[in-house]
Amino acid sequence: MASSPPVPVKETLLDAYPTLSQGSYFAPISPLFNAYDRFALWRADLGLPSPGTVENLQKETKTTHLSNFIFDGARADLTKSLSMNPLFQVTHSFALGSQTSPSSYNFGAIFGSTKVFLQGGVDHDGNVSGRFNYGWTPSSVSKLQVQLSQQAGHNMIQLEHDYQGADFSLNAKSMNPSPIDGTGIYFGSYLQSITKNLALGCESVYQRPTPDVSELSTSYLAKITGTDKNWIATAQTQGLGVLQATYWQKLSEKVEVAAELQLIAMPNRREAITTIGAKYDLRLATFRAQFDSTGKVSALLEQRFTPTFAFLISGEIDHMKAGAKVGVGVMIESSSLTPEEMGMPPQP
Amino acid sequence: MPSEETKERIVKVIEVGRTVLHYGWIPLIIYVGFTRSNPQPSLIKLISPLA
Repeated sequence: MASSPPVPVKETLLDAYPTLSQGSYFAPISPLFNAYDRFALWRADLGLPSPGTVENLQKETKTTHLSNFIFDGARADLTKSLSMNPLFQVTHSFALGSQTSPSSYNFGAIFGSTKVFLQGGVDHDGNVSGRFNYGWTPSSVSKLQVQLSQQAGHNMIQLEHDYQGADFSLNAKSMNPSPIDGTGIYFGSYLQSITKNLALGCESVYQRPTPDVSELSTSYLAKITGTDKNWIATAQTQGLGVLQATYWQKLSEKVEVAAELQLIAMPNRREAITTIGAKYDLRLATFRAQFDSTGKVSALLEQRFTPTFAFLISGEIDHMKAGAKVGVGVMIESSSLTPEEMGMPPQP
Repeated sequence: MPSEETKERIVKVIEVGRTVLHYGWIPLIIYVGFTRSNPQPSLIKLISPLA
């Protein structure tokens, strides 16, 4: 009679730390360790995927829509890469002739290595913005974000910590925290994968503008990802009676479409805005087009003539208000590096 | 609750830190980038938009 093959025994916490089972100090609480261990094993067996962060919940939709990319007037961005590893680049950007914002010049610098990311920008008025990220481990990142201006009251500092577990993500954030009286805005969010496709989470905001006033509000999030990750649907409630839902789908390698619905149902204000957009990634061009239920139609074309020179043209027509915006821009990337130094294969 | 004196000191420290950050942040990034870059770039290329 053949004996059955030995069942592989999974290494438990008690095997890993033999002193726990032998040592008398931990004996009284070893059932607790056991239970935690079994729970952790059971959780790992589910093989749940990482749900992504709360901040990036609607990232796919936002990069498909052009609301974050549209500009008007003329602009030029001159980017200079001075080093690839570690990353170091400086940017000079000019913008003029915009209907909504005055002409501006902005200088930016980025430095990034595997652990540290530094970013800074200064405009012609002397307003400085900065970001500092430090990765303690790849899954645990602390972030600092500042905005400093010459005028008092326009300064902002934000401290943030991101932790990504195997099947959950956790984020804590504080905006303008005051060590003296505890005022500021505090955010906490948690997103957990429930099944392979569904992730649920919540985000709490605690506002304390003055020491006597404080307010806590919680919003709930849900994210459904397609099994082969080519579609994502999200929903988010925001405070009292605001619901935001998005749907993103990758139709092919080159085409992505996204829809967004924003519902506001407050006692004195009821409205809904729907935005539908598409993004085409062609070989040397990116084209985004979208329209929304307020009657705005807009498009943005980013054409790369050479890898270092891109031409942008954007337009928006507001049919309800009978307004239009047009923007043109150039993006020039120059580099002092040879192709070999940039990690590209040598040209024949 | 901290005393008035401590509070004043904290406010002063924050104010100084803010000023240092305001004027020192961009130079810090450029210094860090300039010294850690591989290969090290020339200074003129760093500052001028056209070089």
